[in-house]
Amino acid sequence: MFVFKKDQQVINIANVKIGGQPGQLPTVLAGTIFYNKHSIVSDPVAGIFDKQAAEALINAQQVLSDETGNPHMVHIYAETPQAAERYLDFVSATTDAPFLLDSTDSTVRTAAAAYVSEVGLADKTIYNSLNMSVTDAEIEALASSDIDTAIILGFNAMDSGLDGRMELLENGGSVLPHGLLETADECGITKKLIDPSITPMGNGAGVALRMCITAKAKWGYPVGSGIHNAPSAWNWLRNKSKEDRFLYKICDIASTGLQQMAAGDFILYGPIENARYTFPLAAMADIMISESVADLDVEPVEGHPIYKLV
Amino acid sequence: MPNNTIAQEWPPARGDYTVVNPESRISVVTLASDMDPLPDTCVMGSCKTENLGIEKIIANTISNSNIRYILVCGQESKGHLSGNTLLAIHANGVDEQGRIIGSDGAIPFIENIPADAIEHFQSQVELIDRRGLIETHEIQAMIEEYKSKGEPFPHPAMVVQSKKKKKMVEREIKGADVLISHNILMDTTSGVVFAQT
Repeated sequence: MFVFKKDQQVINIANVKIGGQPGQLPTVLAGTIFYNKHSIVSDPVAGIFDKQAAEALINAQQVLSDETGNPHMVHIYAETPQAAERYLDFVSATTDAPFLLDSTDSTVRTAAAAYVSEVGLADKTIYNSLNMSVTDAEIEALASSDIDTAIILGFNAMDSGLDGRMELLENGGSVLPHGLLETADECGITKKLIDPSITPMGNGAGVALRMCITAKAKWGYPVGSGIHNAPSAWNWLRNKSKEDRFLYKICDIASTGLQQMAAGDFILYGPIENARYTFPLAAMADIMISESVADLDVEPVEGHPIYKLV
Repeated sequence: MPNNTIAQEWPPARGDYTVVNPESRISVVTLASDMDPLPDTCVMGSCKTENLGIEKIIANTISNSNIRYILVCGQESKGHLSGNTLLAIHANGVDEQGRIIGSDGAIPFIENIPADAIEHFQSQVELIDRRGLIETHEIQAMIEEYKSKGEPFPHPAMVVQSKKKKKMVEREIKGADVLISHNILMDTTSGVVFAQT
C-alpha cells in the first residue's frame, strides 16, 4: 500500500471518523435499509415496514461494528418524503450511528433535508448525494438546511473517464457551470465525501477505483463508493450464479476489499443483511493495509481491527 | 433494401436482455420488471437506468434494421425513470450538453451515442408506450401483432463506436503524490509507479 503526500482530511460525523491515510482509520461501513424491494418494507410510498425486523438488522450491524472495530452507518433509501420521515425517525431512535439520506428523486432528498433540520438530526445526516443533475432548487434547499456533510458524486454521463469525473468536481467540465465541490461550498457542505460513482464493469467501474486514489492525492477528502453495484450490474455473473448461488455473494462481498485497496475510507456495501459477511472481510483488509504501511509512519487509531482481532 | 440489415457483431452492447429472433420487427423493453423472454420478439430485456441503459438500447437497435417497433412496458424504474427517458429521447433528442430533452429521470445524459445515431434511432423505430403493462399474454399478443409488420428500415445497420475507448492518456510523470515505499513513488494522475533516482 502507500501514503499520500497530501494531508488527508478526517471528518467527524456523530463521533464516526472517516478519512485519513490508508491504514490509519478503519473503513466505515454503511448497510442499506429500506432499499427497493426490501422484504421488510410493505409500503414504500407510505414508508410502512416491519419494525422488529429493521431493528434486528441495524442491531446486527452494530454488534459486528463493535466486534471488528469498523464503524458503521445506516444508508436509508426512501421513495417519498413521507417514507423518508418515518425511516429517519425509526433509525435515529434505534441507533446513535450517523445515516445517509438517499433517494433517486431530488425532491425527496430536499424534503428530508428540511425534515432532519427541523427535528434536530442534521448533525447525524449525510446527504447522498450532490450530483451532476443538481438543480437550483436543490442547492437552495440544501443551503437552507442544517446539513453540513454530503457525498459528492463523480458520475459524469458525458465523460466517464478519469479526467471527466475529476473535472465534474473541479470545474464542472462540459456539464456544469462550475464544479460540484464549489456547489457543495455554496450549499454549506463543509464535510465532503467523494464517491467516484461505480458504473457497471465495461462502463468505467475500474476508473472509479482509480479516481478514489486520484481524489485523495489531489484534495485529501475521504473517498468511498457503493462498489457492490459493479457485481450487481454484471449480467454474466447473474447468469453464472444460477449454477452456484454462492458465486454472486462471493463477488459481491469481495468487491468491498477492492475499494479498500483503492484507498476507500467508507463503503456503501449494499443490503444491510450482508453485514455479517462484509464486516469480517473489511476488517481483514484493514488489518493487512495497516500492516503494509507500518514502516511509513502511519499509526492505526485506537479501536482499529488490528488491535481487536489479531 | 440494404444488404447489411444486421451489423456483423450484433448486438454490440451487452446487457440484461435476450436475443430471441433477430428478424423480428419488434423488441421489448421491460424497464424495471424482470421477465422471461417471449417468442417472436427480436430482443427482450430490462432497462433500469436513464443514461447507460438508454445508450445500450439505441446501440442495439440501430445496428439491426429489422427492428421497427419497441414495446416499452413493465414497471417504471423508480427515480431513474428509464421509460420516461426512452420516450423523451425518441421524441426530443438531446441538447448540446447531451441532456435528454424532456426527461424527468435523475441523470438523463448521453455520452457515447452521437447525434446522427440518435436521429437514426428516431427514424428507425416507433415506440409503443405501455408502461405499467406486466401481463405476459398481453405483451405476447402485441409481439404477434408487430413481429412481421412493415419492412426493415431502408438504411444499413449503424454501429456506434464508444468515444472513451479511443482516448489514451499520456504516461508522463508530472510529480509524485503517493509514497509506496521509501524510494518508490506514484503519480496518481498518470497512474505510474516509479523508483526515485
